[in-house]
This record gives sequence, structure tokens and C-alpha cells, in this order.
Amino acid sequence: MFRRKAEERTGSPEALRLESVRRVYGAEGNQVNALDGVSLSLPKGSFTAVMGPSGSGKSTFLHCAAGLDQPTGGRVFVDGEELAGRNEAALTKFRRERIGFVFQQFNLLPALTVMQNVTLPLKLAGRKADPEQARAVLARVGLGERLHHRPSELSGGQQQRVAIARALVTRPSVLFGDEPTGALDTRSARDVLALLQEAVRMYGQTVVMVTHDPVAASYADSVLFLADGRIVGRMTAPTAEAVAERMTHLSDEIIPAVA
Amino acid sequence: MFGLALRTLRFRAGGFAAAFLSMFLGASILMTFGSMYDTAVLGGASGTGQETMVTMASVVGGWGLLLVVFAVASTLTLSVRQRAEEIALLKSVGATPRQLRRMIVGEAAVLAMAAVACAVMPAALAGRGLLELLISTGQVNADVSYVFGPLAVPMGLVITFVAATGAALLAVRRTARMRVTESIADAATDQGRMSKKRIAGAVLFLLLGLDLAIVTATAMRNEGSDAMSTAGQASIYAAIGMALLGPIMIRRVVAVLAGTVERLGGVTGYLAVCNLRRRTGQLAGALTPIVLFTAIATGTLYMQSTENAALEAAGLAKSVEQKNIETLNLVVIGMIVVFAAIMLVNTLLAATTYRGREFGQQRLAGSTRRQVLGMVALEGAVLTVTGVLLGTVAALFTILPYASVRLGSALPEGSPVVYAGVTALAVVLTLGTALGAARRAVRSPAVAAVTV
Ligand SMILES: Nc1ncnc2c1ncn2[C@@H]1O[C@H](COP(=O)(O)OP(=O)(O)O)[C@@H](O)[C@H]1O
Ligand SMILES: [Mg+2]
Repeated sequence: MFRRKAEERTGSPEALRLESVRRVYGAEGNQVNALDGVSLSLPKGSFTAVMGPSGSGKSTFLHCAAGLDQPTGGRVFVDGEELAGRNEAALTKFRRERIGFVFQQFNLLPALTVMQNVTLPLKLAGRKADPEQARAVLARVGLGERLHHRPSELSGGQQQRVAIARALVTRPSVLFGDEPTGALDTRSARDVLALLQEAVRMYGQTVVMVTHDPVAASYADSVLFLADGRIVGRMTAPTAEAVAERMTHLSDEIIPAVA
Repeated sequence: MFGLALRTLRFRAGGFAAAFLSMFLGASILMTFGSMYDTAVLGGASGTGQETMVTMASVVGGWGLLLVVFAVASTLTLSVRQRAEEIALLKSVGATPRQLRRMIVGEAAVLAMAAVACAVMPAALAGRGLLELLISTGQVNADVSYVFGPLAVPMGLVITFVAATGAALLAVRRTARMRVTESIADAATDQGRMSKKRIAGAVLFLLLGLDLAIVTATAMRNEGSDAMSTAGQASIYAAIGMALLGPIMIRRVVAVLAGTVERLGGVTGYLAVCNLRRRTGQLAGALTPIVLFTAIATGTLYMQSTENAALEAAGLAKSVEQKNIETLNLVVIGMIVVFAAIMLVNTLLAATTYRGREFGQQRLAGSTRRQVLGMVALEGAVLTVTGVLLGTVAALFTILPYASVRLGSALPEGSPVVYAGVTALAVVLTLGTALGAARRAVRSPAVAAVTV
């Protein structure tokens, strides 16, 4: 299998690249084309929002891009390295080095404290879990005082900030979020979005975030619109109004197709 | 709420499998031995033959019953515990504690009825087999006809039903009384803090075991092999007491072994220790059958080998009655050990399969499958060590007094290979089941595991 050399890999200006990625669910007969030939390239240090109607393939797109799901066809490159051709263990190791993922439902480990949750990816990678580093990340998300609480003792917004700290602690090349503000109130959502923006602006990380909220999308540098598993539009320097406007037209286009 | 109970049962049939299986096996055992009584009274038996069958039925009436009740209760408690989140959710949409109780107890009642109904045929067959065994060894006359029903069925039904609904009531009471937010938090972490009642229960069973051990060593001193009846029960009571202390004991063992486990296992060891500390309550459910299995198997096998040695030393051939007792012992113990082994597999399977979501979350945080399995193996190892340790201590309640009575020695007769075999079987069953279930749970993609 073809792999780029290390110097090229780190030198790659692309954080994420998809080439005609397809994902088909279901058996012969009643197949669903969740992703229908998606190609894109996102530069390092970009903040991209992905929008689209429910069922348009946003989650499938993120899972394929983050190596959590295997595309039926096409190629995915993260940090210049192709994901295909690795076994599950190798892919997991690659993910924990280069990819962070934040879920709508947080997915923190309930038996571990905040601090233990955040240091877990480092420990799993066999790296020395530097408590200072973890503390610094937690301070950055405003939870420096909550190190020994358990997830069940925190609010949703706080849990999501822990999840972000956990995703950032390994200094991943790309941070993916699947509706990371979907379960939060407006204020907590704004905190979380500010953190993602900060990761891009101050730390040069790359963020790709699925959302259905035009305000959330307006925090990004650009917005990709998905419909029926295809990229149907793109907007740079989005404002909430422009995104909302575009979304209503998207659903206009979609509804006749569904009905 | 009863309607909801039925719908839940149908929807989550898998989640109730463990509780159902334990009720089914329990009812089968109860009715098998109940039919010995039916046959003794109504099957035209007389004299020693009748006596043998009545003894057989009442032996099981004593501790087999206790064991079945305890097993049913512990699997049912596990299944209620696993649904703490669902219960919390129902509460948050307005279900009152009373409604929740009716729902959970209703489910248990339906399960119990179904389990007893399914158990009738196997129990009738097993009882017939047992009678044939008694006839072929000449302990019962060949003209005795098999009777199954008048006592066996009501006994099986009532005991299984009462055990199931009683356990459900106890298990749900705690959850139902808590505030909504408390119970959601409780569902996430469960450190197995033990209630005063549970500790009192543990002490009671340990004292009962101790009492039987003392009776064996004193009052039964000159009764020869009759001492088996008290000695045999001692370890069962003690094992139940020990199993009730499970959460405390796990924490003790973890405190001692934590350093070693973490050194051995690295990050998987670290996770295993975290889980053992924070989810002690859930893991303790799997401890119970390990303790029972080890205690009963070790206790009875060494009691029998001690008895054989005592007879040999006295230069006696076994009398018919002694042979009876040996057959009885081996058959009853065989059934109960198999019961405990099935419970072990059953409970551990349910407990591990339930963790699919947790395993998925861990993999999303960067665990490889191998790391998840390593963690499960280490947890299983600590559980086995704890279970075998407690079971062995409980077995001593039988073995030591019996050796003192029959051999006048502090130590039992018998090959250490037997103990090694029992321990090895406990290890294989525990680790095999936990790893098998975990391997299946991590087969699906991590994302799929956390969304279901
Ligand atoms: N595991 C699956 N099995 C079958 N179909 C699926 C599965 N996951 C998603 N789909 C289908 O693929 C399409 C895209 O789903 P998804 O990516 O979850 O959409 P979105 O996140 O935009 O709501 C939908 O039609 C959905 O029903
Ligand atoms: Mg989605």
C-alpha cells in the first residue's frame, strides 16, 4: 500500500481530503446511498461547518472522514495519509494520534473522573500522561476546578467541554464534531463554539463540525451543504442569516424528492 | 403499568434472558425433587425406599431451595439494576414509585409463570430419571410408580413466583424511591455501597453457617456419616453470606491487587481497577455464582472423600444406607454444581453484554479491541480471585468440622487435584464467558455500539 513519507506527511497543507467517497447501507435490493460521491479538500487551520437536512448523510460523512466507518468506495486522506488498508488496531492508533471526535451525546466514560477521561487517550496511546498538559487543556475549556468530578455530576455543557478537552489533549490534526452543540442550551453552545473557534485561530487546528443551527455554522470559515449524500453547495464567511436562507431553499429542493 | 410491563418484556426479551434462565433452572430443580416426595407418598413406596425419597426431597427442600431463591433473586436484581437508566427516564416523565414497582414486579411475575410452565416437562423427565437411578441401585423397589404433580408443581410455582416477585420488589424499591436526578447519576456509577440490611443479611447467613459447623463438630460428633446433613448445609449458608458481602470484598481485594494489576496491565490494568472501584455493585453480581460454585463443589467433594477415607480407616464396607447417601450427594451436588456453573455463565454473559455501550465509548476514546478485551480479562481475573477465595473460605465451614468429626483431624482427606480442578473450572468459566461476551460486544463498529 502506498504511504507518503514522514516529511511529506507533516508538510501536507491539506488536513482532510476525500476523493469520490461513497457509502452504501443495506443489502442488495433496499440500498441507501448515504454518501454518493463526495470529494473535497480542507486546508490545515480551517473551520468548516457541514449542514443539510436530516438524513442527508452528515453523520455518515463525518464517520467516514474520521475513520470510524469504512466507505464503500473512494479514498480518505487525513494529514496526507490514506486511511484505507489498515486493520482496526492500526486505524485506532492512527485515530488517537491524529483525529479528535466530539459527539452530540458526549460519550464520556461514566466510571472515570474528568481528569481521568481527559488523560485516557494519552494513556491508551502509551504516552506519558502529563497531568500538567491535561490540566492546561481543562483550564482552557474552563473546567480547571472540576478535575475530580464524574461526568454524571456535570451539566451537559460542562460534559461537552470535557469531551472537547479530551479530543484536544492529543493535539489532533483534525477535530470532528457531530452536532456538538445539539444537546446544549444557547449559552453552553456558545461556549463550546468559542472553544472550537479558538482551537482553529490560536492553535492552528482543523475543525469540521456538523450542525443544523445556522448560528453555530456562522462561527465557521466556510459551510458545506449536503443533500441526499452529495455536496450541493458551499459558502465562505457565512452569516447566520445567509445560512438560514440557504437552508430553506435546500429543503425546498429536497421535499419534492422525498414526497 | 402492567401493559407497559408486557410490552417491555416483549421488546427487550434479550435483557430478561438471564433472569428467565435462572428461574427456569431453579423451577426445574425444585420440581424434580418435589416429584420425589410425590412419588414417595403416592407412588406405592414403603419402608426405606419411601424414606430415601422423602430425605432426598427434603434435602433439596432445605438448601437447594435456598440456593434457587438466591440465584433467582441475584439475576433479577442485576436486570433491574441494568435498567436503572430506563427507570430514571420513566420517572422523569412522571411515573410514580408505585407505578414503577407494579411494572417491575409485574414483569417478574410474568417471567416466573413462563419459566415454571417451561420447566414442567424437563423436571418430570429428570424426576423419572432420578427414580430409575434409585431403583437400579436397589434403593427403591422396582414396583414404585412415578408420580409428578400434586406437590412438585405447586412447590415449583409458589417458590419461583415468590422469589422472583420478592426480589423484584426489593431491587426496585431503592431505585423507585430516589429522586430523578439521583437515579440518573446512580445509573452511571454504582459503587456498590452496601445497605445495613444487606450487611445484616450477610452476618445472619454467616452465623447460620457457623452454627451448623459447630453443631456438626459437637452434637453430631458421634452420629457418623449423618453429620453430612448439617456439614453440607454449613458451606451453603456461609457461601450466601460471603456472596452478600461481595462489594466489600471486591474492594478489599482490589486494594491489595491494584498495584500488581496496573503494573501487569498498563492502561488496561488501570481501566480495570477504575471499573472495579466505581462499578463494584454491577461486578459484584457476577461474583455470587463464582462463590457458590466454588463453595459447593469444594465443600461437598472433600466431604465425600473424607467420608470415604473414614470408612476405609475403619475397615468398613459401605452399607446400603451409606451408598444411598453417596449417590444422593453426588446426584444432588452434580445438579447444584451444574446449576451454579450455568448461573455463573448466565450472569456474566448478561453483565458483560450489557456493557456494549461502555466498550464502544472506550473505543471511541482510542482503545483498540485488544485493549478492551485486556481490561475485561483483568477484571475477570480479579473477580475470580475474589470469588474463589470467598468460596474456599465458605467450603471450610463444611470441610473442617466434618474432618474433625470423622477423622479426628483438622485436615480433610482428598487429593489437592480436586481443588485445583474446581479452581481451574471457575477460572475457565469466568474468563471464557467474560471474554467471549466482550469479543462479541466489540465486533460491531464503535459508533454503532454507542448509538443503540
Ligand atoms: N447503520 C445504518 N444502516 C442503514 N442505514 C443507515 C445507517 N446509518 C445511516 N443510514 C441512512 O443513511 C442516511 C444518512 O444518514 P446520516 O448520515 O445519519 O444522516 P444525518 O446525520 O445527515 O441525519 C439516512 O437515510 C439513514 O437512514
Ligand atoms: Mg446525524
